Amino acid sequence: MTNLTLTIISKQGEVEVIVPQGATVMDAIKAAEQQVPHFCYHKRLSIAGNCRMCLVEVEGAPKPVASCHWPANDGMRVNLDSETTINARKGTMELLLANHPLDCPICDQGGECELQDQAVAFGSDRSQFQEMKRAVDDKEIGAKIKTVMTRCIHCMRCVRFATEIAGVEEFGATGRGVDTQVGTYVEEALQSELAGNMIDLCPVGALTNKPYAFTARPWELQHTDSIDVMDGVGTHIRVDHRAGKVMRIVPRECDAINEEWMSDTARFSWDALSTNRLTTPMVRKNGKLTACGWPEAFKKIEQSLKKVGRDKIAGLAGDLHCAEDYYAFNAFMKETLKTDNVDARGDGACVDSTNHAAYIMHTPLADIEKADAVLLIGTNPRHEAPLLNVRLRCLVQSGIPIAMVGEEVDLTYKYKLLGDNPQVLEDIANSKNSFGKILQKAEKPLIILGSNVLTRPDAKAVLFSAASLAEGIGAVTENWRGFNVLQRMAGRVAALDMAVHPVAGGLETKGILKALSENKLDVLFQYGDIEVPCEMLQSTATKIYIGIHLTEQAQTADVMLPAAAYTEKNGLWTNIEGRVQEAKAAVQPPLQAKEDWKIFRALSAELGKPLPFNNQAQLRQAIVDICAIYNEPNMLVQPEWERPGKAGKMKDTPFTLPVTVENYYQTNEILRASNTMVACQAEILEKRKVEEAA
Amino acid sequence: MPKQTVPILKQEEKVFQNLEGQDDWSLAGYKKRGGYKGLKKLLTTDRIKHIEKMKESALRGRGGAGFPTGMKWSFMPDPAKTGKPSYLVCNADEGEPGTCKDRDILRYDPHTLVEGMIIGCYTLAAKTGYIYVRGEYYDESSRLQQAINEAYEAGFLGKNIQGTGVDVDIHVHLGAGAYICGEETALLESLEGKKGQPRLKPPFPAGYGLYGCPTTINNVETIAQVPPILKNKLEWWTQHGRPNNHGTKIFSISGSVNRPINVEAPMSIPLKELIETYAEGVIGGWKNLQAVIPGGSSTPMLNKGEAGKVLMDFDGLREYGTGLGTAAVIVMNQDVDVLRVMTRISAFYKHESCGQCTPCREGVGWVYTLMKRLSNGEGTVEELEQLQKLTKKIEGHTICAFADGAMWPVQGTLRCFKDEFERRIEAKEEVA
Ligand code: SF4
Ligand code: FES
Repeated sequence: MTNLTLTIISKQGEVEVIVPQGATVMDAIKAAEQQVPHFCYHKRLSIAGNCRMCLVEVEGAPKPVASCHWPANDGMRVNLDSETTINARKGTMELLLANHPLDCPICDQGGECELQDQAVAFGSDRSQFQEMKRAVDDKEIGAKIKTVMTRCIHCMRCVRFATEIAGVEEFGATGRGVDTQVGTYVEEALQSELAGNMIDLCPVGALTNKPYAFTARPWELQHTDSIDVMDGVGTHIRVDHRAGKVMRIVPRECDAINEEWMSDTARFSWDALSTNRLTTPMVRKNGKLTACGWPEAFKKIEQSLKKVGRDKIAGLAGDLHCAEDYYAFNAFMKETLKTDNVDARGDGACVDSTNHAAYIMHTPLADIEKADAVLLIGTNPRHEAPLLNVRLRCLVQSGIPIAMVGEEVDLTYKYKLLGDNPQVLEDIANSKNSFGKILQKAEKPLIILGSNVLTRPDAKAVLFSAASLAEGIGAVTENWRGFNVLQRMAGRVAALDMAVHPVAGGLETKGILKALSENKLDVLFQYGDIEVPCEMLQSTATKIYIGIHLTEQAQTADVMLPAAAYTEKNGLWTNIEGRVQEAKAAVQPPLQAKEDWKIFRALSAELGKPLPFNNQAQLRQAIVDICAIYNEPNMLVQPEWERPGKAGKMKDTPFTLPVTVENYYQTNEILRASNTMVACQAEILEKRKVEEAA
Repeated sequence: MPKQTVPILKQEEKVFQNLEGQDDWSLAGYKKRGGYKGLKKLLTTDRIKHIEKMKESALRGRGGAGFPTGMKWSFMPDPAKTGKPSYLVCNADEGEPGTCKDRDILRYDPHTLVEGMIIGCYTLAAKTGYIYVRGEYYDESSRLQQAINEAYEAGFLGKNIQGTGVDVDIHVHLGAGAYICGEETALLESLEGKKGQPRLKPPFPAGYGLYGCPTTINNVETIAQVPPILKNKLEWWTQHGRPNNHGTKIFSISGSVNRPINVEAPMSIPLKELIETYAEGVIGGWKNLQAVIPGGSSTPMLNKGEAGKVLMDFDGLREYGTGLGTAAVIVMNQDVDVLRVMTRISAFYKHESCGQCTPCREGVGWVYTLMKRLSNGEGTVEELEQLQKLTKKIEGHTICAFADGAMWPVQGTLRCFKDEFERRIEAKEEVA
């Protein structure tokens, strides 16, 4: 590939830059570390060239060119400071502002608005526009996004995002000329699970965050870098808070994981952090949960444990905890209470800490794009890991074959449905199925197995057969790891890493639930909500609930201990790739609530067998001792390959999906506590009803 | 019954011998006029030779821009090398106000176009041609389709035409009424089933056109002129017009003339002669003339003095700061309120802007409101200056040439009738 040399002329003088063939003039300007104003251009979207803000003079060209799409040429001289360039910018800016309402004081985008910033930097201080301004009706597009369409500058970023990235052709422009309007063609709630990204993309205040509306100004907010826990992707987020309250959550850029996108569950669920929280310990008195202090709650726990045999005690943990918390809970159960009846696999998954390879994705997210054939098994990535689905969609768009064994769902792209049960896997393995041949031929085949597969009665056999298939098609080689188990819960990988499951013959989730139903247990420690129906947790055992929300499952407890949500603690979260990432505490836990590990540490001391760590540093050291990768957050370590599962007979019962369109926005306790998410779910169900009626 | 026009061109010098519809439009009639004769020979001659001859003929695109056709054709890559099909697309989305030449070709002499498409496709090594017809031309498109059907039946279209081994298929596609779809890349978008909005260039259609394949887009008249140019000696074509402006051309003359007409005449004919010979003069005589729009609504107007001197070809009109465009001559005599006409034209452009890029979307409407106000005398003399500057902020800053075409007539009006604007503004001020 040849390189091109261009000269960029700016106020700072002339600079020569070298860019590769195929670069645009804008690339060259950026290479010269100069700025060029722009609105429609966005590096992760296709080039539209419609705002005309990036016009620059190229010497010798008859008119200014749009630098965002104009190909750079050898010897080109680009003048950023000429009259032509400056006039073109000023002219475009004046025209952009002509019909813009200039209502910055009442606009939520104020202070972080690209139009505002660029008008100051590149515009003129007065307009000659004397006519009536255009007014556009706002569109009602659901609970996530507020629209003020008069502010729209028609850059079409939102439209391109919806069509190109989210894969839903819900957004578009209708009308022509000055009457062009952007919106859903038929006014209705957006169905995309990634719609919120349009808010970030919109350079003006046309699309803003609806639940955040009028609650804060950007300059009042403090920012804390954190990690999202609404799914297992580990999206990099920034928690914006003011006076100890989370005001909103936005994505951070991270090419390796979320690029710069974020799922709507991650973005819009923050209201749950201050809704229906457990803020003080409670104990049941005369059948009623009553607020009390920590000492009283601890006393009550101590009493209930008196003279109880350790096999009469059990612990269940949910899926929204970080590594430290799982470690502390596990140690508390196993070392302080000396019981092995502990399990964090509420769904009954068949994998445990002994084989790291069995429960993570081996292909780094950023390498997905390298795959040349994809097989999905019993999973719906669109709902289990939306940002993984974005990458898969991109891959499919480039023509890579993709097939699915499992339930037919809308993934926003076309795929081949091979069957719905595990027996198809055998056909694929011995190339009876034509897709088997495609996989055989592929150099970098990718297999993604949904975590729900691990909960089947024949899970081990399916896992074994999928892994053997992976080996057979060359998905497990020195240079390419294409075997992946997709976890859908943020805490699961860490829970397994911390071995929060029986290791010495104790009861697993199923056993614990059975014992509960037969009233054979005396004390149950429930740490967060478990993904089973509430009735299954009903029993005569004394229930101690440690959690963040007053959920249905919490309300049946005898003692409740308020813990910290993910925004309220420093914690290590492990994503689907097995990547350990640190989230920082943005705000304090509410009122009397405490960081989870501190609760277990304090309780263990109260019970006379203190856990062997006094601070987070010691706790992290203890974690590193059992799982070395926790020593180096953000690093990806490829696990040793050990074929997971066990050979056995696979049934022909179809694969099922735990997350469906009907419950996507309600899949964990935080989402269930969020009013926005409840509203989003209702919108989806409403739309379904209308569709079915039609 | 209108008087018979004095023929400047003899019948055999014309490309469109049935432009007035006096004769049979069908295959039989066309053949009688010499159509399809020599087609077989053209289809067996080396296609590169055709391109060479087109270059020599200096035929310039008849759709408005006047780009040399031979050169345009030479940009097309060889399908054997690209591995992609090539396409020839005929732009029959005639929407420029004042222009109605393609319409008469389609309804009275459709086989000229069909034959042109056959030879054009062969020359560009395209197996498929599309004709994108303006939606309002429903009857005309039916006529064209009939002609195509006839050609298929007679073996001039389809597989192995006349035993030459050349395959050509032609499809007719009706637009939906947007002026912008006459812009070639918007036309391609529309043909692909998308919203008709111009594409960014580069890439140019010759490299990345319809469905991402090499494509050439030509006007109806241009394509129809190809067969006679290739069949006849070069002199047959170059005897008319000045160098670089050779040949004949259809002029659509309308407005304040005694006989509005569509007529094929030699290029480089003086405007005055054109009007007086074919349109039987300006109503009220030449002295009653006020202004002329020489090439369709997007070309700047000429005042009376200029109109008396100008030669009607690409270069002649360029000298006067305007253009040949589609050669739609709109004549306005003293009875016409020119400012009102031009305001109406501005309204047209406002209505037809696709709205894709900022200067056009926001600017054309603004220009229209200013025109409306100022032509009524509402405003200030300074605003005339502003209007002029505003057109400069729009012109040359957009994705396609639409906005340029919307600004030129305004600039032309300001050039020729600034005093009229000022008079009206002052009159209003006096009343107030
Ligand atoms: S709504 Fe925002 S992102 Fe969409 S076109 Fe308008 S300004 Fe651009
Ligand atoms: S950024 Fe180049 S035209 Fe919008």
